Amino acid sequence: MSILKIQNASKIYGSGHTQVNALKPTHFTAETGELIAVIGPSGSGKSTFLTIAGGLQKPTEGSVLINGQDVTELSEKKRSMIRLSEVGFILQASNLIPYLTVDNQFRLLDKVKKGNMNPNEKDKLFNQLGIEDLIKKYPADLSGGEKQRVAIAKALYTKPSLLLADEPTASLDSNRAFEVISILSLEVKEKNKAAIMVTHDNRLTKYCDKVFVIIDGQLSQISDGDQAYAHLNSSD
Amino acid sequence: MFLAWNEMKSAKLRFLLIIGVLTLMSYLVFLLSGLANGLAELNREAVDQWRADAIVLSDESNINLPQSSMTIQAAQNISAKNKAQIAQVLLVARKRGTKIKESVAITGIQKDQFLMPKVSEGRAFNRINEVVADDSLKADGLKIGDKLNISSSDQKLIIVGFTKKAKFNAAPVLYTTLSTVQNIKYGNGNISRKGLINGVVLRDPNFANLKVASKLKLTPIESFIENMPGYTPQKISLDFMIYFLFVIVSVTIGIFLYVLTIQKVSIFGVMKAQGISSGFLIRSVIAQTFLLALFGVFVGFVLTTITGLFLPAAVPIQLNIPVLAVYGMIFIFVATLGSLFSVQTIVKIDPVKTIGG
Repeated sequence: MSILKIQNASKIYGSGHTQVNALKPTHFTAETGELIAVIGPSGSGKSTFLTIAGGLQKPTEGSVLINGQDVTELSEKKRSMIRLSEVGFILQASNLIPYLTVDNQFRLLDKVKKGNMNPNEKDKLFNQLGIEDLIKKYPADLSGGEKQRVAIAKALYTKPSLLLADEPTASLDSNRAFEVISILSLEVKEKNKAAIMVTHDNRLTKYCDKVFVIIDGQLSQISDGDQAYAHLNSSD
Repeated sequence: MFLAWNEMKSAKLRFLLIIGVLTLMSYLVFLLSGLANGLAELNREAVDQWRADAIVLSDESNINLPQSSMTIQAAQNISAKNKAQIAQVLLVARKRGTKIKESVAITGIQKDQFLMPKVSEGRAFNRINEVVADDSLKADGLKIGDKLNISSSDQKLIIVGFTKKAKFNAAPVLYTTLSTVQNIKYGNGNISRKGLINGVVLRDPNFANLKVASKLKLTPIESFIENMPGYTPQKISLDFMIYFLFVIVSVTIGIFLYVLTIQKVSIFGVMKAQGISSGFLIRSVIAQTFLLALFGVFVGFVLTTITGLFLPAAVPIQLNIPVLAVYGMIFIFVATLGSLFSVQTIVKIDPVKTIGG
């Protein structure tokens, strides 16, 4: 079953001389159990792709189906509800709220949505990510890696069917990075989710089921990470 | 409430400062309302004690009791059921043998009519030149048995009793007989003017249907009070200050919260990206303002109450708890209204921009 289905979606900013084709017409599907990497240089349209995939903005043309629901036809309010229930974002600019302790970050999610992880699942997740001792701390007291792990836990906590990660391993050392990817991978396989991560980090692509590369708004699939890197380098 | 409260806990200094500003403003509102109340009381407390509905004065007095003059004959022709004659003169009384002086309203009434105040100390006046005085005069050193010289008259008065809450247009009232006032005004010898009084006070809810003679004027008691010299300008000025303070409160907290909201645009953007609705964020900002105003008003109220305990008697501040409660609620309401400045900003936050799309 496809969790995300993007049909012929494109995004154009501006018009005339200032027109930018941020995303060229794109077909894309993410099936349950798939961990997908999207690689590309900065300014290539990765973020545009991610925000369209997550229902944050509408494509200029085409449609985006999250769990079978066409979000391009929905109001911002409805899309916001779909994001809350179906999509887990792991953002580069850490999505932690500075004035909430780690524990309260999760309590906030309980306030806005039902059906999140139960205490056992939560403890297990915290253990896997090694953040069980951080619950009383504020984000400012966490290291970059700790913040990233809390952000990942936060994205998983609402049990989304689609995970969208923007550079999820950016501030982690290699060991932690592999650990994080294996957690994502496990989560995706075990719980029938799909995950898309946008990354520079080609160390990670071998853990992924599909690898895409995006250059100047053009998304294309390639088989493995080494190839992707070669692809990137040749086009620069 | 959850977000609002946790944010306040994590940035205590910032929010304590805002609460501090709100506390000072609510303190000012409360003291001004106490002052407005106290000054109004100073003017009207004697009249309020009469529990009257209307007053008849001469037309040319401009609704001013000391300036009014009518004959007892005319007073008797007024057909109201419950009416009381009143004579009044504003003069300065001096305690004999001392330099203690006070401007007083010497007010002549009939002892058996409803204008007769409750004597709280001593006894009622029985004879000419005996007076029952407002007990604020005790603070000036006057006591029962004291003799008073009256300016521009050779009459001597003697205090035989005190009554509470008897100030007329800020002057302490000396209640006495009608003839005492007539003697002071016209002298002992002037028989022809003995029939003159100042007005007739009515206790009759249906006074509007009464007809009075053409040279007389029937005035509801509330407009009689409003026409006292200085009463209305004073009241309007203080009320204006209070209302203006409410506007200032609303704008001030509006600006504070707006600045805080602007600072949090990226945080709000991230939350919106995660699917947290604008409504939730708006409710959280409004709840925060409400909490801030509530704390501010509470501390302001405590400060006001403490101040009230230590105010010298000469300061005309009278704290009226129900009035303070109403002003406190208005305060919280207008402060919360101020937070609505931020609503549009929150609605407009584009999550795509905040995550660098």
